[in-house]
Amino acid sequence: MKVLVIDDSKPIFMMVSQMLKELGHEAIWAENGQDGFEKVTANSDLELVLLDWNMPVMDGLEFLKKNGAESFCKAPIVMMTTENKPEKIQEALKNGAIDYIMKPFTADILENKIEMVCD
Amino acid sequence: MTNPEVYKFFSDYVYQHTGILYKEQDYYRLDSRFNTLVKKFEVKDASELFNLYVQKITPEMHTILIDLCTNNETYFMRDLKPFKAFAKEGMDYLKETFPNSISYNIWSAACSTGQEPLSLLMALDSFGDKLNLNKYKIEASDISTNALDKAKKGLYTGLEVQRGLPANLLIQYFSQVEDNWQVNKDLHNKISFKKLNLLTESFPLNEYHIIFCRNVLIYQDMENKKKILSKISDAIKPGGLLFMGAGESLIGVDIPMKQLELGKAFCYVKDS
Repeated sequence: MKVLVIDDSKPIFMMVSQMLKELGHEAIWAENGQDGFEKVTANSDLELVLLDWNMPVMDGLEFLKKNGAESFCKAPIVMMTTENKPEKIQEALKNGAIDYIMKPFTADILENKIEMVCD
Repeated sequence: MTNPEVYKFFSDYVYQHTGILYKEQDYYRLDSRFNTLVKKFEVKDASELFNLYVQKITPEMHTILIDLCTNNETYFMRDLKPFKAFAKEGMDYLKETFPNSISYNIWSAACSTGQEPLSLLMALDSFGDKLNLNKYKIEASDISTNALDKAKKGLYTGLEVQRGLPANLLIQYFSQVEDNWQVNKDLHNKISFKKLNLLTESFPLNEYHIIFCRNVLIYQDMENKKKILSKISDAIKPGGLLFMGAGESLIGVDIPMKQLELGKAFCYVKDS
């Protein structure tokens, strides 16, 4: 499965990419929401998007809102962020995220979320 | 190097009281438990611990040992399919099989730290009919005092709530308390928790519409598995259902239950 990780932190992308690889998935990287939009458009075979909240240029919430208006992303979008307040979770779900991963997390949480979302 | 006599003493004691089997090749798994007990009782090593236990085992010493030797691994919606099947097809099945029942008795027989019974209630809401809490009587039991204490508190870490629990259910049923998450009272209060040893204690007869007994019997030998399953079968109402863990089955056990495919899961139905 091809997974797009939208996160401005390269080390976090490397870590998540390694976790995904061990689960048998392929990860590609976008460093902000705008880059994410371009990668989504260029990769029609994406099956999952993992989306950080706080990023320069276009943040995660703006990415969700843009997708809400334009429906450019057919793959399910899961937030993956240090934001852990219930209001934030609610806001992301309301704007189209299908699930939410709070950092820090472990590989088995990622595996479990993927299983639930892509089942 | 710990004396084999010490391993044998503790593994026999644990087996006798819980049915959990530490075979000779598994003795190394007792080492970390010994270390914890050595610190707890402020003795020098496993041999001194043995000297202490061999003289007299107080109820406190018993509880500490049993708690350490039980495996409390669990998470919300473990394996997912049984919970979906329970809430959807399972409830349809109960309505059909027990048309006169106004409420259903459900027992989570090895609830550990509480994720399983909470998942049952949340699954009913998420995958089944909209939840009418008064229709379900949920009992939950476990052998471990520590696990039950946590289950009774209903307070989980950020990592624990993320294991198996979709975010929409998290914000619907939990409140954030600093970095932890507290399950809402109206859900938590529906569950009655109690300490119970599945191997040594008796269960009520023909009481339950559904029993969840998952990932418990894998730690038991065939003789104890038969003993526990026979009591479980007696505790289920005729026509009631038993859900076991993935990889657990009734093969080799002679009780009046048959496998039933329910949605995308398998369970067992007691003969009517």
